[in-house]
Amino acid sequence: MIHVSNLQKSFGHVQALNGISFNITDGEFYGLLGPNGAGKTTTISILSSILKPDEGEVIISGYNLLKNPVECKNVIGVIPQEIALYNELSALENLMFWGSLYLIPAGTIRKRAIELLQLFGLFERRKDKVKTYSGGMKRRINIAAALLHKPEILFMDEPTVGIDPQSRNLIFEVIEKLHRDGMTIIYTTHYMEEAERFCDRIGIIDNGQIIAQGTLNELKMETSVKEAVVITCELATAGRLNEIISLWKDSKRIDNKAYFYSGKVREDMSKIIQLCNQAGIEILNIEFQKTNLETIFLDLTGKQLRD
Amino acid sequence: MKRIAIKDLKLFLKDRKTMLITFAIPVALITLFAFAFGGINTGEDDREYTLPITDLDQSEYSKEAILRLDTLKSLKIVEMPLEQARQAVRKGNEDGVLILHKGFADSLRDGGRLPVELQYDQAKEMQIGMLQQSLIPTLSMIPFSTGDVKKSMSRRFDKMMAGSSPKIREEVNTQFDSLFNSVSRGIIPENNANSAFDFGSEIKMTKLVMAKDKSSPNLIQAVAGTAVMMLLFSVAGIGMGLLDEKQEGTLKRLLYSPVNPNKILFGKIISANVISIAQLLIMFVFAGIAFGLDIIRHFPGMLIVILATAYACSAFGVFLASFASTRQQVQGLATLIILVMSAIGGSMIPVFIMPVFMQKLAVISVNYWSIQAFYDVFWRALPITDLTFLSRILILILIGTIMNVVALRMYRKNILRIA
Repeated sequence: MIHVSNLQKSFGHVQALNGISFNITDGEFYGLLGPNGAGKTTTISILSSILKPDEGEVIISGYNLLKNPVECKNVIGVIPQEIALYNELSALENLMFWGSLYLIPAGTIRKRAIELLQLFGLFERRKDKVKTYSGGMKRRINIAAALLHKPEILFMDEPTVGIDPQSRNLIFEVIEKLHRDGMTIIYTTHYMEEAERFCDRIGIIDNGQIIAQGTLNELKMETSVKEAVVITCELATAGRLNEIISLWKDSKRIDNKAYFYSGKVREDMSKIIQLCNQAGIEILNIEFQKTNLETIFLDLTGKQLRD
Repeated sequence: MKRIAIKDLKLFLKDRKTMLITFAIPVALITLFAFAFGGINTGEDDREYTLPITDLDQSEYSKEAILRLDTLKSLKIVEMPLEQARQAVRKGNEDGVLILHKGFADSLRDGGRLPVELQYDQAKEMQIGMLQQSLIPTLSMIPFSTGDVKKSMSRRFDKMMAGSSPKIREEVNTQFDSLFNSVSRGIIPENNANSAFDFGSEIKMTKLVMAKDKSSPNLIQAVAGTAVMMLLFSVAGIGMGLLDEKQEGTLKRLLYSPVNPNKILFGKIISANVISIAQLLIMFVFAGIAFGLDIIRHFPGMLIVILATAYACSAFGVFLASFASTRQQVQGLATLIILVMSAIGGSMIPVFIMPVFMQKLAVISVNYWSIQAFYDVFWRALPITDLTFLSRILILILIGTIMNVVALRMYRKNILRIA
C-alpha cells in the first residue's frame, strides 16, 4: 500500500530526513513515534505531497508520488495537527466545502457529510458556526473533513491533542472502526498508550532516521530495558535492602530504592515483599517498572518522547 | 511608576517596527504630502508649464508674440495645429490651448483688441486662472515689440477722442508720447504698461470641456479618488485572508487536496475581483443617487473602468500578501503603500495641482490611471473606443497582470516553505 524508500530531505544545512525507508501493508495501522524535530512532520508532509523530497521514492497505492501527486492525493486523507476549519462556516458548510475539493457530486458529499456528522455525534449542531464549538467538537469535525472522500489511506498527525475525555473516547471509537473497516492508517502521537492501543507496527524515528520498527513485542525484544519490581523503603531500614539484594539474582539498590529484575514481575512480587518483611524493611511504595514504548523509546533514543 | 515608565520606554526603543511606525513613516508621509501640495518650495513656483499654442494668424507679429511668450521661464510653449491641441485638452492631456486668431497682426496695427483666446478644460480652472494671470503682462507688452505700435496706438486714441476738441486731442497726444517713451525706455515697468494703455490685456476664455450634467470635476474627483483608495484598503484585507489561511492551517489543508496549488491563488484573485467590482459599483451607484453623478449615461465606460480598476486593485492585494509572511506585516506595508499611492496618484488631491515631478511620479500608482479613466468617462465624455481612454484601461490591466504574475511566483515560493 505504501512503499517509502531512502527518503532524504534537507532544509539548508539541516538534514531533516536521512534515508528513511519503510513499507506499510494494506489495512495496517502504523505508528510513527519520535521527539520534536525527529522528522515525523517532514515525512508526513512528503507523503501527503506538500513537500518534495531531495531524494528517495514514495509509492502510494501503486502510484509514484512525484509523478502522480493528484492520484495519490485522491486516495489519502490527512488529519492535520492544527484545527484547520473555517470558523465562520457551519460544520455542514465546512464539510461540504472540503468534500467539494475532491470533485465529488454535491449530493454525494452532503450524504457523506451527514453520515460523518452522525458518526461524530454532531448532527444536531451541524448548522452552528464552527467558532461556537468546543475544542473537542472542532477536533471531531477536523477528522470528519479528512474522511469525506473515503480515503484508502489516512494520515493522522496527533489527532487527540488538547481535547476533553468525551471527545477523545469518541475519536478512539471512530479510529478503531476505520481500522476495522480496513483503512490503512499512519498515526503520529506523543501519547504512548494510544500507540500501544492502536498500532499494529511502530516506527521510531530520530534525527531523520528510523532507528527501530516492528510490533510492540518485537520492539520489546530489541530493547535492553527489563521489567522490575521497585521497592521504596524508609531511610532508616534502607541499609537492610543490601541483605535481600544479595539474595536476588538480578537486582540493584539506589538509596532507599531497590530494583528486582524479573521476567514475570507479578508473580515474583509476593516473594520480594515476603523477603522485605523477613528483613524488617518498612516498605513505603511498591511499583512495577514495565517495558513499554516510553522506556523502549528512552532506551533507543536517550530522549523522552516529549523532548 | 517611574520604573514602569522606564520599562515601557525601553520596550518601545527595542521594538523597531513600532519605532518605524511612530517616526519614520510619518516623516516619509509628511515629506510626500509637502511635495504633493507644493509646499516644499516656499518661493516661486518653478515648475515648467506646457502651453499648446495655435497660431492661426501666421503673421510676423503672431510669431513674435509666441517668441516672447516662450521667453517666460515658467512656460514651455508647444505649437500645435488647432484640432490636435483641442483634442489634447478634451482628452485631459493638456489644460488648455492659447489661440492667436486670424487678424492678430491687423489688430496690433489698428490698435484694436488682440484676438487671443484660451480654450480650456473647466476641471483645470485653477491652473488656467493662474496661467491667464501670467500671460496678460506679456501679451500687453507685445505691441511694444513691433515698430508700428506707436502708430497703432495713435489711431486708437484718435478713435477714442474722435469727438474732442483739437486742443484736448493735442494735450492727450503729448501725454501719450511721454508715457509711451517712458514705457519703451523701461522707466515704467512692463507690468504697469497694461494699466497705462489697456491693450492686449484681454484673453477670451472659452470652456472647451465643461459640465453637461451634475458631474462636476470636484464630484468626480471626490468619488473616484475615495473609491479607489478605499478599494485598495479592502483588497489589502482580502489579501490578508490568504495569510490567515496560512496561519490557521487551512491553506495547508487545501494543499493536501488534489486541487492544483495555483488554483487556490486564482480562486482568491477571483473572489477579490468580485468583491472589488461590487464595492466600486455600490460606491458609484451611491454617488449617482446621492450626488447626481450621471452613471446611467456613462454606464458602459464606467463599467469598463470599474472592471479594470477592480482587476488592478485586487492584484495589488494578492501581490502584497504574497510578499509578506504574516498579517501584521501586510497591515503595516499596506497602509504605507496605499497612503503613498493615494497621495501621489490623486486620490487625496488632484494630480494636476501637484508639482510637475509629482505628476510624473503619479503614473506609478493604480490610483492615477483609474481616476484619469473615470475623468475620461464622466468629465471628458470620451467614447469607450477612444485610444486615450483605452490606453489607460490597458495600463490598469497591465499593472494588474504584472502584479498577479509576481504574486503567483512569490506564492509558489512561499508554498514550498509551508510544511
